[in-house]
Amino acid sequence: MSTFPAPSAEKFRHEALLYAGWAEFVAGTVPFIRDGVRAGEPVLVVESVDKIEMLRLALSDDADAVLFADMAEVGANPARIIPAWHDFVSRHGGTGRRLRGIGEPIWKGRSPDELIECQRHESLLNVAFGHGQPWWLLCPYDTEKLDEAVIEEARRSHEFVTEHSHVQTSNIFRGLEASGAPFDVPLPEPGTEIGRMAFGPNDLAAVRAMVARHAQAAGIEARAAELVTALNEVATNSIRHGGGNGTLRVWQEDSALVCEVRDRGRFDRPLVDRERPAPSSSAPRGLWLANQLCDLVQIRSLPDGTVVRLHMRRRPQQHLRVVPEIN
Amino acid sequence: MYADKHLVVTRTEAPIGLYFAGEIDVTNSHAVAESLCNAAMDDADIHLDLSGLSFCDISGIRSLVDAAEARQTGRLMLHGLPDLLQTVMNVIGWSDLPNLQICNCRGAR
Repeated sequence: MSTFPAPSAEKFRHEALLYAGWAEFVAGTVPFIRDGVRAGEPVLVVESVDKIEMLRLALSDDADAVLFADMAEVGANPARIIPAWHDFVSRHGGTGRRLRGIGEPIWKGRSPDELIECQRHESLLNVAFGHGQPWWLLCPYDTEKLDEAVIEEARRSHEFVTEHSHVQTSNIFRGLEASGAPFDVPLPEPGTEIGRMAFGPNDLAAVRAMVARHAQAAGIEARAAELVTALNEVATNSIRHGGGNGTLRVWQEDSALVCEVRDRGRFDRPLVDRERPAPSSSAPRGLWLANQLCDLVQIRSLPDGTVVRLHMRRRPQQHLRVVPEIN
Repeated sequence: MYADKHLVVTRTEAPIGLYFAGEIDVTNSHAVAESLCNAAMDDADIHLDLSGLSFCDISGIRSLVDAAEARQTGRLMLHGLPDLLQTVMNVIGWSDLPNLQICNCRGAR
């Protein structure tokens, strides 16, 4: 017997699965996947490699019909997850076919900045898919390892929450409209700045030179050109759309070099950095590119202007490997 | 053909085309269209040697795409693309256009 009745409404269903321990994870995910497979629905599971391994075992033959992807890879930069779901839905959901997905973007070990962006990602999923075709996305949250505040935020970003095999509507879900909004909360101030420069329309080459110099000094020579390319696009946006000038600041965090651009522009398209540009379109591409080149991109639109931070790790992805759990 | 503080564009004869050296960004990406226009080349394929570019932003790539799409016949053949530039063209969805051919060589000259 299935514990997962099919959703009645013909719309995107964004559901959090709160689990404690392997048994609850399996009980919450395996029937969900199996029901989808047996109904002929395409299923994509984006999880850690160890969870994928376990799900394969638990699903046995049904695993052959399931697509699996490593969340540590897909979601290293959480802004790349929505495009991955878009690819899945457009590739496999032709003619309004139902689909299912499992995605666990938040785990213990995410840095504070990554966690904030993962939470933003969870909210933006409602904006990205809330008006489109019906499909069902289940997002597991490990209640044993994650802080209570993280679980609380999951209840705000998901319309449905399953706990102890019982599903209910979240009474603090922020709703579709407000889901695009949580990018007007200021980012924490950095520690020690190691560079600052005000720039105008004729200073792009100087901006690039400064970022290249800091990338060299931070020991990320191999990725300096990528960071310079991404930052140049952000600074170009300031010049063209953000009042004609901006301020570049540079600092180091534990594992990354961070470059920030502030300008006086306003930003009102929350998905602009995660919509894959069509070849023929004249759509903006700079922030999309930044997300593909950098480890993390943080965008905030505040009353006094826009802030964009680009993070480049010294050792890309190393700490993103999900540590195998001992049970 | 064109020169500013960051970019020099010169004409090449064999193959017929243009050689770009330096940096292209939003302040000088108009040079791509201007140089092609000034070169007044006929409808055959035009070869652009980009091996001397140390930087090219999206506006520069957009200029190449626009120039390729504006051609009635003949393609723009891009030679000597730096690796990152090729990656960027892929990522932003402009690597597979009918009139814009990326040649995997080290430069046409």
